Amino acid sequence: MNDLMIEASDVGKAFGAQKALDGVGIAVPKGTVLGLLGHNGAGKTTLVNVLTTMLPPDAGTARVAGFDVVRQAHQVRSRIGLTGQFAAVDEGLSGLDNLVLIARLLGASPREARARGTELLELFGLSDAAKRPSRTYSGGMRRRLDLAASLVGHPEVIFLDEPTTGLDPASRLGLWEIVENLVTDGTTVLLTTQYLDEADRLADSITVLAQGKVVAAGTSAELKAQVGQRSVTVTLADASDVPKAQEALERAGMQPVPALDTLTAPVASSRELAVVVRALDEVGLEATELALGEPTLDDVYLTLAAHAA
Amino acid sequence: MTATLAAAPHTRWRGTDFATQVLVLTQRSLRTLVSDPRMIVFSILQPLIMLTLFSQIFASIANTPGFPRGVAYIDYLMPAILVNTAMQSALQAGVGLVTDMKNGVLARFRSLPIRLGSVLVARSLSDLVRTAAQLVLMLLFAVVIFGFAPAGGVVGMTAALALALAVGWGLGWIFLAVAAWLRNAELMQTVGFLAMFPLMFASSAYVPVAGLPGWLQAVANVNPLTYAVDAARALALAHPVTGVVGALVTSAALAVVGWVFAVRGFRRPL
Repeated sequence: MNDLMIEASDVGKAFGAQKALDGVGIAVPKGTVLGLLGHNGAGKTTLVNVLTTMLPPDAGTARVAGFDVVRQAHQVRSRIGLTGQFAAVDEGLSGLDNLVLIARLLGASPREARARGTELLELFGLSDAAKRPSRTYSGGMRRRLDLAASLVGHPEVIFLDEPTTGLDPASRLGLWEIVENLVTDGTTVLLTTQYLDEADRLADSITVLAQGKVVAAGTSAELKAQVGQRSVTVTLADASDVPKAQEALERAGMQPVPALDTLTAPVASSRELAVVVRALDEVGLEATELALGEPTLDDVYLTLAAHAA
Repeated sequence: MTATLAAAPHTRWRGTDFATQVLVLTQRSLRTLVSDPRMIVFSILQPLIMLTLFSQIFASIANTPGFPRGVAYIDYLMPAILVNTAMQSALQAGVGLVTDMKNGVLARFRSLPIRLGSVLVARSLSDLVRTAAQLVLMLLFAVVIFGFAPAGGVVGMTAALALALAVGWGLGWIFLAVAAWLRNAELMQTVGFLAMFPLMFASSAYVPVAGLPGWLQAVANVNPLTYAVDAARALALAHPVTGVVGALVTSAALAVVGWVFAVRGFRRPL
């Protein structure tokens, strides 16, 4: 029994001379979220298109829900949901009619289709707008309708291609909650994003793509450990004390970087906080705030992308 | 939010057959048409203006030699207007397909376990319905306002309308194929207009071929539209009917060729 819901190995895809994907491999166990991180043109959407049978790969193999994306495209399509960067809804139809249409195409009877559509609209807070043409929806509503449309057939695997791009913070949070609920229910999710906090919050594991290649893979913590360093940030009450504090920290063997009224220095462990406090105490200074910072995925991404380039 | 999005006990729907896909998708296209009938109204404005202008400007053509004796110009003109309207409508089928592609809903269809050909057939069928509605409206205007009363009577009119519809349907498949490859509505409109405008005039549509300058006669004689218009006219005027079978066979051939290329073009990634 193989519980990998997405498996890709050595997948390649070129558009002319441009290699969009170059030997990409990923593996996503059932009920987990893979965050696919990369800037524009890194190959994220191309990989999603290959995995959702929209685009045949030039090289390598990929299986989704146990079926080959090339030879068993139909079976794959029966088991996946796709939410792309642009809302794939019929603007001329109402929200309900959009969902009914998808359900009918999947094989539901008119009655079942209506029931499923109504249920999803309610879950996504769109019941009040059910009968309105979707062209009158706001961006956030349209995105929710789009996500609802990709869930009509109870898919086992869901692909979300930059689902929160262009959304306001509240809509973004709402969408995150929906994704978390889906995963709780056992759905497998592949999420592409440019937002590092999004991958950090939702993904069980993260794959970083740059120029069509996997440049790093692992959990968020593993990636951070790979490249990032912890740092301590000292905030001083009086900005004019910054040079004095800097001197003190340098004497203690640290490399502080001054800013307006703060100093930031890399540290190996939280124990060095004591060193900072002591060094400041010796010169008669007191920090109004002392913060230990984890490396962000920004650090990870910038470091890795710089290596790949 | 309750956590019943995906794992709630359910039976997986196992897909549908081609006929159901076509039916559901045709209903969808017609529904958008009904919810926004401006499309139908505006699409008959142009042929209506042509009907008004031509029936007035060219009325004296009926007195020229070579014009069928005892035939009113409106009776001569109307079958051509029907064919022309059906052709414009065929172009609209292609434009509609491009709009669908831009709409984004097609991206959704592509990720569903359906046959993509059903999307094309549905488009073609719904356009057939739309064109039929347009042609019937045009015919009513012609009868009530312009005194269209051909010798063929109601039967002749209906037959001419059906023929125009068949021609428009066949040509519609060509435009669906063009749309599936070009994927650009503005370009389609321009190309379609450029192709159809001279074709309509260099034919028997508005004046008898014998009344055209020599070189234009040569063009008109090889212009398939001449034959389509002649056949529709013969049906309406109750003249000896020639060319109807030819027009139908040509339309069917266009449809087959269009289908082959449309499906191939349509399968290409968006």
